[in-house]
Amino acid sequence: MPILELHHLRKYFATQKAVDNISLNIEQGQIFGLLGPNGAGKTTLIRMITGIFYPDEGEIIFDGKKFDPINDIRKIGYMPEERGLYKKMKIGEQTEYLAQLKGLKKSDATKKIKEWFVKFDMQTWWNKKVEDLSKGMQQKLQFVTTVLHEPKLIILDEPFSGLDPVNTNLIKDEIYSLAQKGATIIFSTHRMEQVEEICDHIALVNKGQKILDGTVKQVKQEYKENLFKVNFTDKITPEHLAIHLFEVKEKKETEVVIKVDPGYSNNDVLQYFITKGLRIESFNEILPSLNDIFIRLVKGTPTARQFQEIKA
Amino acid sequence: MNKILLIIKREYLTRVRKKTFVISTLLFPLLYLGLIFGTGYIAAKSGSNLRIAIIDSSGYFDKGKIERENLQDSSTVLSLVSLPADSLRTNFSTMGYDGYIVIPAKVDWETGIKKLPFHTSRTLSLDGAVPLKRKLNNIWNTVKNEKLGIDETKKKVLEESEISVETENVNDTTANSGTASAMGIIAAILIYFILMIYGSQVMMGVMEEKTTRIAEVIISSVKPFQLMLGKIIGIGLVALTQVLLWITFIFVIYNVTKATGAASSMSGMIGGIQKVFTSTNISLITCCFVFYLIGGFFFYASMFAAIGSAVNEDMREAQSLSFPLMMPIIFSIVTMQVVIKDPTSALSVWGSIIPFTSPIYMMARIPFGVPGTVPWWQLGLSMLSLIGGFIFTTWFAGKIYRTGILMYGKKPSWKEMMKWAFRKN
Repeated sequence: MPILELHHLRKYFATQKAVDNISLNIEQGQIFGLLGPNGAGKTTLIRMITGIFYPDEGEIIFDGKKFDPINDIRKIGYMPEERGLYKKMKIGEQTEYLAQLKGLKKSDATKKIKEWFVKFDMQTWWNKKVEDLSKGMQQKLQFVTTVLHEPKLIILDEPFSGLDPVNTNLIKDEIYSLAQKGATIIFSTHRMEQVEEICDHIALVNKGQKILDGTVKQVKQEYKENLFKVNFTDKITPEHLAIHLFEVKEKKETEVVIKVDPGYSNNDVLQYFITKGLRIESFNEILPSLNDIFIRLVKGTPTARQFQEIKA
Repeated sequence: MNKILLIIKREYLTRVRKKTFVISTLLFPLLYLGLIFGTGYIAAKSGSNLRIAIIDSSGYFDKGKIERENLQDSSTVLSLVSLPADSLRTNFSTMGYDGYIVIPAKVDWETGIKKLPFHTSRTLSLDGAVPLKRKLNNIWNTVKNEKLGIDETKKKVLEESEISVETENVNDTTANSGTASAMGIIAAILIYFILMIYGSQVMMGVMEEKTTRIAEVIISSVKPFQLMLGKIIGIGLVALTQVLLWITFIFVIYNVTKATGAASSMSGMIGGIQKVFTSTNISLITCCFVFYLIGGFFFYASMFAAIGSAVNEDMREAQSLSFPLMMPIIFSIVTMQVVIKDPTSALSVWGSIIPFTSPIYMMARIPFGVPGTVPWWQLGLSMLSLIGGFIFTTWFAGKIYRTGILMYGKKPSWKEMMKWAFRKN
């Protein structure tokens, strides 16, 4: 059962169709990548899911019921891209305050914070103020405040920006373990290599519309170009490659990248090389990276979104 | 509801625990007293100390009378010289005088001297020649008394027979106009300070949440309106705490000094406070004061919050947007004197009903007596319109706040802010 269903969501602002008819299903336990260029409408979409904005049109079903911002909000943990903390407040107190706002009792909050602080090696922070922390340390603290109340749905907007590799791994592992325990994670970013590594499922949003939706594997299959890399033990000559089965994209001494003609199978190609007496070392399909797909799909749209007049 | 309480608690505790709160609570009354006594002291001492030469051709101004006057008040010294006026004109400053006066020869004591020119090289302030004038007139009175044959006892009788008039309101005998104006001024100035200081604190607090980017984190847990209301109530309670502490100070000082028999240096002030307690309806005034303090604060604070939510890091943006909001507050404190002079004029009545000016105007009027000067219907109407006013401003500001707190980038115009306010959700 999906934990979150979005049905034809729309949100128009004075000069932008920020979200224009987006529907999505997110299954429980998924790590869902929400991708899109700057200004695509990701933040507006997330703000509707977190109850900050009301959709102009459409429906949000959360955990099987119509989304009720006032009560469901405690089942959601949201780490916005524009995030911060009260600079002058003590860290322990501040974390307790944010947890209480999410509906935790103070004693429970304190207990859980202590556990997380031990886990993230932050025990000595309790009486320090936020202004004493570096940006990366603040980020860790923000992650803790986001997941502390054990939300069913965790929304992370660019969670790794400004983190060093060690802390990135720490948070990444935590995301995996939260997903394993049954939490659903929406992960919004434009860092494609992270998406490829972490997410099961992705959706690509551009100009307020969903232009792609599926598992990472499916998407890659869908956008593959039948490219294969073949390595040989022997040197290859131009005569070897003059054949209608494939088109050569790149050629080195013992390596070629070929685009197989859709009318033929991989076996036909291998058969051909074997009959030519070439010794094959390896034969690999080249799948497009999400980065390539992203750029291909978004290309052609202006790098900055244009303002437009909306007649509601 | 529970969440608003959490927010109120945070806003209240973080502010009350700050050193600046403690210091300002203790220091403000001292500064305030210092201001009152200091200006009085400076005003008393500000008369210039002049040395003035007098050429007397009439013979009335003899050395004995002049010396007696100099003994009584040494701030301006007169000395009788017997030089021709021409040589004094060129030499008076080298001789150490600030100026000179020539009493003409033909002076009749019955008709007197209308005007005497004071020759000086200095430019004196408006009040600069007052001590000189006082001394000359004292001497001249002595001259006249002598001529008329009035001795010290007769003189005493003449001076003591003045009649003074004190207004007494027939509807409310406790309303004493002198004490009333003093109380009105103090109450109104306090409200003015609270509105200005704590109003801008609300604005700064909202700006802080916006610029540190915590706003979005918080409003994913609570509604923007709850956050705004929590902040306003929290800061309002801080203001109330401070004012109540001040009122307690006064009570404590009053009771302690009364119990210890009142040190003589303090007796004037204590006497004044005692008069306030006995000659006015102190409980009604205190209740109204708290009401107008809170009401006025709510009326303005939500609009300050809306402005704080609309601007970015730039303090200048905040200043330029908050200026129109401060105008009515400044206007009411500046025109308060008019209200105190005539608490029943049309300006006073309507100004104390319209919520923009009512917190200050009404507090300036109430000490003159309810229902004597301020009929019950006016007080009721004023309170109702203030309550209605702050409900409206809070609702209105909440709509601007909701949009503004998430907007980054350029400063919005008033027109855009109006659009936010009237847009559907």
